[in-house]
Amino acid sequence: MDSYDAGSLPSDDNVNAYSFCLDLTHDWFLKRGAMIAYYGDARFDPLSALSSASAFVAARFSSPVYAQEWVVVSGAGKVVVADRGHDVNSFDLDAGNLTVRAGNLLAFDTSLELKQSIVPGFLTLLGTGTFIASSNGPVIFVEPPFRADPEALLGWADCPSPSQHFDAAWMAASITGMLTGVFGRASGEERQYDFTGSGTVLLQSSEQTRDDPALLRVLTEQTQVLSPTQAAELAGILQARAARA
Amino acid sequence: MPYGRLMAVLHASGRVLHADLQGDAIRAASGSMVAYTGQIEFVHAGVGGGEGLKAALKRKATGESVSLMQCRGTGRVYLAQNAADVTVVDLTADTLVVESDALLAVSPGLRLDVRFAGLRGATSGQGLATTTVAGDGQVAILSDGPLIGLSVSPGSPVTVDPDAYVASTGQTTPTLVSGVSWRSLVGGGSGEPFSLRFDGTGLVLIQPAER
Repeated sequence: MDSYDAGSLPSDDNVNAYSFCLDLTHDWFLKRGAMIAYYGDARFDPLSALSSASAFVAARFSSPVYAQEWVVVSGAGKVVVADRGHDVNSFDLDAGNLTVRAGNLLAFDTSLELKQSIVPGFLTLLGTGTFIASSNGPVIFVEPPFRADPEALLGWADCPSPSQHFDAAWMAASITGMLTGVFGRASGEERQYDFTGSGTVLLQSSEQTRDDPALLRVLTEQTQVLSPTQAAELAGILQARAARA
Repeated sequence: MPYGRLMAVLHASGRVLHADLQGDAIRAASGSMVAYTGQIEFVHAGVGGGEGLKAALKRKATGESVSLMQCRGTGRVYLAQNAADVTVVDLTADTLVVESDALLAVSPGLRLDVRFAGLRGATSGQGLATTTVAGDGQVAILSDGPLIGLSVSPGSPVTVDPDAYVASTGQTTPTLVSGVSWRSLVGGGSGEPFSLRFDGTGLVLIQPAER
């Protein structure tokens, strides 16, 4: 077992493969629940407490549905973060952009800008700085063209947002079956995310994802595009699904 | 101890504990034996915290109990539980405070006791470390991911998430912190509304996961 004190804990580096130590020489955005220990005089402030006082936070954190899941940690000292014993890694962005699954993002530099991705459940980081993300198993880096399982997808950098790809045989079956009969007989593998262009795709070596409490709010927000009639129809579909469950 | 101290040797190998016995006995969590070589006898050893009415009452009051078995003989016992990481802590005239369900085995000569931490009612799930192990010997602890030791000294307390806290050694005093600043860390309702600050001198052991 490795032992540390406030001085010997690594500064902005991994403590072991499953935890990372943030040095409060500068402020960080931190996901609630990610902190497992801290030394020193650290302050954890909800974004709501800061946004009025500091316009910079509001400008940096451009995602109202995720704002309540995050705090700003400032002050002096060291904060150890971890996520259910999963692998934790830091990534450096240099005037770049990277989109990551919201449930896997644990912390990021306040020098980075956060926006909500078009793909539900994902967040995009822009600019220069460090972010900390967890993965269930080591991270695998792949270059497009590439098709990924949505659950194993951790994120992507520099390439365009993925489109959805459906297995050809499954498509043929759905067309002949007029969709209705075939829905619900999915193997779970017929839907894939298709990446093109140049960049890097990040995968985790597992299909286990964390429940994202903000995902429901993201999807609810997206149903704004539906007409009232369509919304009523959607409500009926969801009710039927809930009744089956 | 005049004789026989540390005859039984505990050695962690990843997620398995090796206990080498030379005619003596260790106490281990009931049902944790996965294999053994040699001549070993396994006997139910009651629950941790000592025998007698007083100990039983304390266990009832604190809700802490750990069912133990005694492994006696000559040979090697392999102990494991739920594929949890195993860490062996050496104690020299020291006290280890540990969550009962994180205790895997103790070498002979150590005293087990149940201590009422007085904090239990205030925390959600965990029965805050009310089992103490004292004396000279070795203790094997279970954790979800490798344990991290964080040292505490006067003027340098450490604050931990109660769900990541596993054990502590030395003379440390836990205090529940529920400041406004801390509360903002906690998710909507289901989270742990407190943090634990440890003051004093010693080592606080945490795991890189929230139970």
